[in-house]
Amino acid sequence: MKTETLSGDKGGLWRAERPGWHTDRCILWFCIMGAVIVGITVLALANIAITELADPAHLFEVAASSEVIGSILLTFCAGANAVLLLVIFGTPLAYVLARSRPSRFKEVVESVVDIPLILPHTVAGLLVYLLFMRRGWLGAPLAEIGLAFEDAYPGTVVAMLFVASPFFINSMREGFEKVPVHLENVARTLGAGTFTTFRTVTLPLSLRHMFNGAILAWGRAIGEFAAVIMIAYYPFIISTLIYYSFTTDGIHTSRSIAFVVIVVSFAVFYLLRRMTRYLGRYDDRV
Amino acid sequence: MIEFDQVSLALGSFRLNNVSLTINRGDYYFIVGPSGAGKTVILEAIAGLHRPRRGRVLLRGEEVTALPPEKRRVALVYQDYSLFPHMSVIDNVGYGLRMQGMGRADARHEVVGLLAEFGIAHLADRYPGTLSGGEQQRVALARAVAVKPDILLLDEPLSALDPVTQEKFILDLQRLHREDDLTIVQVSHARREAHLLATRMAVIIDGSLVEEGEADVVLNRPRSREVASFVGIENILDGAVVRNEDGHATVDLGGQVFEAVTDAPVGEEVTLCIRSDDIVLRVPGSTRSSAQNTMTGTITRVVENGPVAEVKVDCGVELTAVLTRRSVRDLSLAPGTPVTLSIKATAVHVIRG
Repeated sequence: MKTETLSGDKGGLWRAERPGWHTDRCILWFCIMGAVIVGITVLALANIAITELADPAHLFEVAASSEVIGSILLTFCAGANAVLLLVIFGTPLAYVLARSRPSRFKEVVESVVDIPLILPHTVAGLLVYLLFMRRGWLGAPLAEIGLAFEDAYPGTVVAMLFVASPFFINSMREGFEKVPVHLENVARTLGAGTFTTFRTVTLPLSLRHMFNGAILAWGRAIGEFAAVIMIAYYPFIISTLIYYSFTTDGIHTSRSIAFVVIVVSFAVFYLLRRMTRYLGRYDDRV
Repeated sequence: MIEFDQVSLALGSFRLNNVSLTINRGDYYFIVGPSGAGKTVILEAIAGLHRPRRGRVLLRGEEVTALPPEKRRVALVYQDYSLFPHMSVIDNVGYGLRMQGMGRADARHEVVGLLAEFGIAHLADRYPGTLSGGEQQRVALARAVAVKPDILLLDEPLSALDPVTQEKFILDLQRLHREDDLTIVQVSHARREAHLLATRMAVIIDGSLVEEGEADVVLNRPRSREVASFVGIENILDGAVVRNEDGHATVDLGGQVFEAVTDAPVGEEVTLCIRSDDIVLRVPGSTRSSAQNTMTGTITRVVENGPVAEVKVDCGVELTAVLTRRSVRDLSLAPGTPVTLSIKATAVHVIRG
């Protein structure tokens, strides 16, 4: 008789060894409770979708406006830039945290990495603003070489980077921790230096975590509002545009922009997940 | 070839204490010891994966204490095989060659020959996750020898294999040692592996080297009680020498007297080590043997284990004898059967002090 386990690729809970629609009562309750969370999101989406689709002309007008398209592109690009910077600077940090022995210093560094998670977003924005404003410790010297952050694209990127960094670094660190040190040791004895081992063994085996971390960070970045407006109210990213529209034009237009953003975001993230579903999947038995 | 000169190192709460050992070119060297004793740490220190806090490591006569692993020309095979799961078998085996600067095509050509030699040519394009334990082990070994090291380090390579695959793998290792002029250092728990493969061996307990020497000597004539216990000597008995005439000693175990060969003087407390397969049993009434130790007792337990049976005999002290199951059957041995034991004086190893 064919037997499928809970963690099996095929079947899972609903195609257990017994034929027919049969499942564990406990799991059924778990599903019902989980459905509350999914249900709230679906209800919220359905609510806005029904309202917006009732007036397609207005929806199309908003969706086709250059202001909305430009804002969406700006938001996605700034988020991608923040993630790119995180990949470049956060990956080495995540590796060091994953491979270093427990120590008080390491705990302090880990806590510093997590700070953006626990701070109110306005506080995060204030921190970024104070550091990168024209008179800030980093803002002043960078302004002198022509890199301004206040009400400028770099300001948006740096605010997004700050709030998104724990999501990427923690995911990446978890990925590195899952790569057995033995694999690196063997690579070293076969003639690979530390960086070559990292490039040929550790990083390829952590790609999935890198991707997941990047998606989480990107999602967090493009959804940021409070931290961004503290340093860069302009140019409008999508969350500031919705807020601006809400305070000037009212609920009707801001709701349409929000619906467009939902559709675009869902499509982009779904496509990314589909495209990379096999990325970095290797047999755990090894 | 490999020398540890008073090496100490610390890894978290574990300490390797002042270990000195010498492994000669061509040795098949075993490092044995209980779990957590530090065997693998020594192996990794040879490979350069841990830097000693004190002491020196020498390879081929040169100090390499500060030399990184990639420059030591030492190959390592772990117990879990540690194949790169994102690479096919051919890429795994060719990894070291590529790291040495060989082109992809040349590396593939070289690896194909090596895979054939190990009987795994048909696995070339498979990924590690699809291989059996034995296949993975062969790939790991092929990968290690692909870079033509003169030192091969093996960390319990047989422990995860079934008995049939173990036998095949032991033949592979014997062939490699013989034909490739390799110096092999193997960490193991199994005495049988050491019997079959080792030329010399070291026993590590709690991060310290407690005995080193010829494998036969360490396995059969250990210098301490703890090593005797670890290498699996079944009968370890404490007593005192009560007579000694030209090295033929009589040892009193508190009621039972043993004859043994030792120059321990009268009055010295000694530990007797008797291998279970050196004990002969005889039913009462049969002719005496030439064995110097003959004693009567009663069988307390018979445990069959494959082709042999462990027979426990109470003869004042409890002794374990290993017989063929056929002997047990022919002599109708069972718990309660009175028997006579014969032990050769030369079969009794004496540890002094």
